[in-house]
Amino acid sequence: MEPRVIERHSFYFTQSQKQGSRELALLSIISQSFFQPFSLADNLLVILTALTSGTGMGFNRAMLFLKDGESLLGEMWLGPGSTEEARSIWEVLTTPGIGYIEVIEYNRSLVSKNKDTLTQKIRGQRFALDEGVSELPGLAVRDKEIILVRDARNETGVDPRFLELIGVDEFVCIPLLARDEVLGEIVLDNAITNTPITAPDIKLAGMCGLIAANHVYSTVLHTKVVEMEKMAALGEMAVFVTHQVRNPIAAIGGFTEQLLQPGIDDVRRKRNLEIIRDETRRLENVVYKIAHFLKISLKEPVALDIGPILRSVLESPELKAKLEKFRLAVKVADCPPRVICDPSSVGEVFRNLLENAVEATPEGGSISVTAYPKNDRWFVLSVRDTGTGIAQADRARLFTPFFTTKEKGMGLGLPFVKRVMDSCRGKIEVESRKGRGTTFRLLFQCQEREGTP
Amino acid sequence: MKKILLVEDEKPLCLLYEEELGAAGYDVTSVHDADSALEALRTGAFDLIITDIRMPGKDGIELISRIMGMRKDIPLIINSAYQSYKEDFMTWAADAYVVKSSSLDELKARIRELVKD
Repeated sequence: MEPRVIERHSFYFTQSQKQGSRELALLSIISQSFFQPFSLADNLLVILTALTSGTGMGFNRAMLFLKDGESLLGEMWLGPGSTEEARSIWEVLTTPGIGYIEVIEYNRSLVSKNKDTLTQKIRGQRFALDEGVSELPGLAVRDKEIILVRDARNETGVDPRFLELIGVDEFVCIPLLARDEVLGEIVLDNAITNTPITAPDIKLAGMCGLIAANHVYSTVLHTKVVEMEKMAALGEMAVFVTHQVRNPIAAIGGFTEQLLQPGIDDVRRKRNLEIIRDETRRLENVVYKIAHFLKISLKEPVALDIGPILRSVLESPELKAKLEKFRLAVKVADCPPRVICDPSSVGEVFRNLLENAVEATPEGGSISVTAYPKNDRWFVLSVRDTGTGIAQADRARLFTPFFTTKEKGMGLGLPFVKRVMDSCRGKIEVESRKGRGTTFRLLFQCQEREGTP
Repeated sequence: MKKILLVEDEKPLCLLYEEELGAAGYDVTSVHDADSALEALRTGAFDLIITDIRMPGKDGIELISRIMGMRKDIPLIINSAYQSYKEDFMTWAADAYVVKSSSLDELKARIRELVKD
């Protein structure tokens, strides 16, 4: 039997004294990056950067494959394309004061500018991943083991096409596994410095592999959840529209049938026609509201004083008449800061909240409107009522389109509020106690004050 | 004359059912909400109940189960705009489930089956 020039390493992490702090620092940077609003690609880039930057692991190059059907598909390959390139990159990266974050930024700009010649070499390349695969890179995934190749040219277990691509004798393959599911593979080497790959390097790289795999896994799950939520929302809409439409249809159908009966008298004919007209208008209103919600286009947020908008909503005759039945308290801060919002929608948002308060509150109850700066950053618009409150079971669906607890409601008011607040990077807080009342607080970002004296 | 209790909060539909079922020879009492329905059941005698299931969030199913608890052996037809309630096990106890439509034929046919002289 031929001597094999490969070694197998376990995933388990045993902390060596010498490396402890470096490992912890690295892992903490990676885990912090997951709290950033980065995309999957960005987070994978962070991990590959961790594996290749001098500040992190210090492999020269890192290659990423993701599982795609029955093969490994090349995604990204980070590292210098040649010794010259390496010299210039590493010169930048070892500049005093350049930290890990700068390295990630550097790599991101490299990838986005399509300047990383390495990635272009492997993107779209496929390697077999089926049960019968006996060559690297697929082999590491099949066996779910980290595999170190010391002398690739004399090793039969390496796909020749892969060997030609990577062009080095020594490399380590780290399968990306999460919950027994294969998600991809990372291949690391020291093509430029030719430094031998050490066992501690492999252990730490294995850890990075586990983190990357779990991240890919949760991203896949998240995508599925988002998809399911979309389907659920669609189902909700279908149920809602069905209800809104079937009642008028039943009335129109029935009264039309009566009109067709011989000998119907004039009084009844007129009454039936009026009912049919009214129900048709109702249908039209349903269609109008849905179309309005679906195509509403939000304007680019600008900074403005929303005080006048709030006052004009409160002064509108229709709302004023409704509000007369309640004890109304309005307190809008004098010279409020300018806040970031969509001027064409903020009035409708406020009106929605007021109408909800009116409908939830028994006559004689109180409704209070306050608008005040919370701090330098946030301006609060609060609408509080002493109404029926929101049932615990309904909380989670407050902002779901077409979900409503009102007999005649469309379920589009609060979803609209949320859309507007999202578009101006604001926040919504809801406090409610069944039978006691509800407070909606909209938090708008304040415009940054320039050169306050 | 057979007596029908109609629980329906849509006024035009109440009017339509009263007229149409009245013309078909039934005595229709219509109520618009759950409490009136339960009150009517307590005080009057009916041969059939026709009830809407109201919107989600308004305890439609709960109302049905309370009516079912009170109706003893009065047959019950659910007449709803929601097809989806058909799969809810609480509605299995109803004698018929008729989805609202532009024609009253199916509803009338179910009434005839359930109210025999």
